[in-house]
Amino acid sequence: MKKILVLALVLVLPFMAFAQGGEETASDDTFKIALIIENTIDDKGWCQSMHDGITQAIAEMSDKKIEYSYSEKMLPVDAGSIARQYVAEGYDLIIAHGAQYKNLILEIAEEYPDVSFAFGTSSEIGPANVFTYMPESEETGYINGIIAGRVTKDNIVGLVGPVDSGDAARYNRGFVLGVQAVNPSAKILVAHTGSFSDYVKASEVATSQLGNGADVLTGSSQQAIGALRATAESPTAMWVGQDLAQLTTAEGQAKCIAASSYAYAAVVKGIVEKMESGVMGGECIPMNFANGGFTFDYNPALKAEWVSPELEAEVQAAIDSFVADPDGTLADWADVDYSTL
Amino acid sequence: MIDIITNMLSMCIPFSVALLLASIGEMFNQRAGVFNLGCEGVMAMGAFVGMLIPFMAGGGGAVSEWYNFLGFAAAALLGALFGLFFGVVTVTFRAPQGIAGIGLQMFGVGTAGTLFRHFVGGTQSIPGIPDIDIPLLSDIPFFGDVLFSHNAVAYLAYIFIPVAWYILFKTPWGLKVRAVGTNPRAADSMGINVSRTRYEALMLGGALAGLAGAYLSIAQAKMFSDTLISGRGFIAVALVYFGHWHPAQIMGGALLFTLAQTFQTIVQSMGISFPYELAVMLPYILVIVVLSFTSRNQTTAPVSLGKPFNREIRT
Repeated sequence: MKKILVLALVLVLPFMAFAQGGEETASDDTFKIALIIENTIDDKGWCQSMHDGITQAIAEMSDKKIEYSYSEKMLPVDAGSIARQYVAEGYDLIIAHGAQYKNLILEIAEEYPDVSFAFGTSSEIGPANVFTYMPESEETGYINGIIAGRVTKDNIVGLVGPVDSGDAARYNRGFVLGVQAVNPSAKILVAHTGSFSDYVKASEVATSQLGNGADVLTGSSQQAIGALRATAESPTAMWVGQDLAQLTTAEGQAKCIAASSYAYAAVVKGIVEKMESGVMGGECIPMNFANGGFTFDYNPALKAEWVSPELEAEVQAAIDSFVADPDGTLADWADVDYSTL
Repeated sequence: MIDIITNMLSMCIPFSVALLLASIGEMFNQRAGVFNLGCEGVMAMGAFVGMLIPFMAGGGGAVSEWYNFLGFAAAALLGALFGLFFGVVTVTFRAPQGIAGIGLQMFGVGTAGTLFRHFVGGTQSIPGIPDIDIPLLSDIPFFGDVLFSHNAVAYLAYIFIPVAWYILFKTPWGLKVRAVGTNPRAADSMGINVSRTRYEALMLGGALAGLAGAYLSIAQAKMFSDTLISGRGFIAVALVYFGHWHPAQIMGGALLFTLAQTFQTIVQSMGISFPYELAVMLPYILVIVVLSFTSRNQTTAPVSLGKPFNREIRT
């Protein structure tokens, strides 16, 4: 028995050296938020944007005591135990960031009606203690489409998609509409990898599109970094991004003309405020330019070369139209049919 | 149309290298009678270590090619050590190879991810190795793009195929490997050290799997993430069966799989009305279909594949 214990300790100790907590703050009698994600908080994509949003929201709500914890690399099959652990530890709001957690959250929410849960992207109205959120990312796609349609020299643009659902489907179709709005003759190459996190496949798809003449590419989800990396290999091709974190990478600084990003801080603040007013869920919170759910910025290193004042004005006009009429401007995004491109 | 075909074929060689190296390594394992489902984990560790060295040397910026070479060497060495470890578990302790392989896969992927987060942090890229246009040959229309404009490791990997064939079929060591995978008792009675030969094959297989992982992180994606391998280790194992444990046929399988991958990408990009979900599945369906039609031809399968050898037990 003693030998087994010693052996177990020897096997476990090396990993303890690398252990790091996922807790941002800690104090008693506070509002407690937990985040469950399938990738990591620094994936320069989907998961990082929510993590950054929560930390920003906490900073902006400095008058409140908020404790925040996160669990990374949680497959839906594993996430149930950690969600229940958070419930047991008295967390007030548990956010499972991804539509893949839907069934899990609905099941646990029924077990624990006094705890609020949130998952997205989803436009469904959940039970009384479940919030959903849906980035209307056809708006960010449209903006990037305008830029791609204007800056392409070979009149071919590429789109590296993960799967054709959720906010990725909205972004991709918005991108197509944006390109077609300013450059109807442009050829748009659309391909999906079938995964959100296969960086190699995303890079292969991008390489294929570059080889077929695309000179401006875009992509969504965390795997887009792989496509951006492949784009960086081309001396002439450029990129428009779906996450501002891409601008912080070396290849993003060299190739990414502009990027939009989800500003989850607005969602998190909205949920916290609703909970304080007694609303525990049962609402879908849309994210769009009108409610501050998106941010957009140009790459300062590339703006002068690639973004003309006319293009900038065109982009700003589109954003203004989204702000003025968030429900109507791109209401036909779902009608985009890739087979007609 | 010719441009599209040229583009599709020109991607086949560089994109098939990781699968090719890993499956040739797995072929040596299986020819010696051991199947290693942990190939995915070894590839993950190879990818991590391979990327780590040039990343640490240059902080993500440009580095001397020697650091990339060092990354490949470290990945091969680490892969060999993983092969040695797998040998201890399956050859010396005679653990069930399937279960041990799954354990090695989980251990490798998990450890690579943990170490990556500790030493690097978030998703990072490196300059990697560039493509080389072979003088004169790369100028040949069509063939220049398809065959002679790739990175150095891709050329070396394909040059290794006849070398692997020679090692396996024309050297005394290759004969030993095939003997211990076919009839270890007879090999033992002829004075061949079965365990040692299996250890050597596992180390060679591990080294090649490590190189395959490093190829993905240094030469192809030029980055590392926890999900970089994404099942390619298992595809490599399938390709060994697909290629009937023969280097040339395995090469054909790797090329066919990659061709199907690039073909489905082009089908999608051309806007052909075809569900993308089915397009993405195409390469995997192809493997299953070919395996179904060729599984009856088992004459080349190592007879003792998956069977631990114990000279004290008569079977």
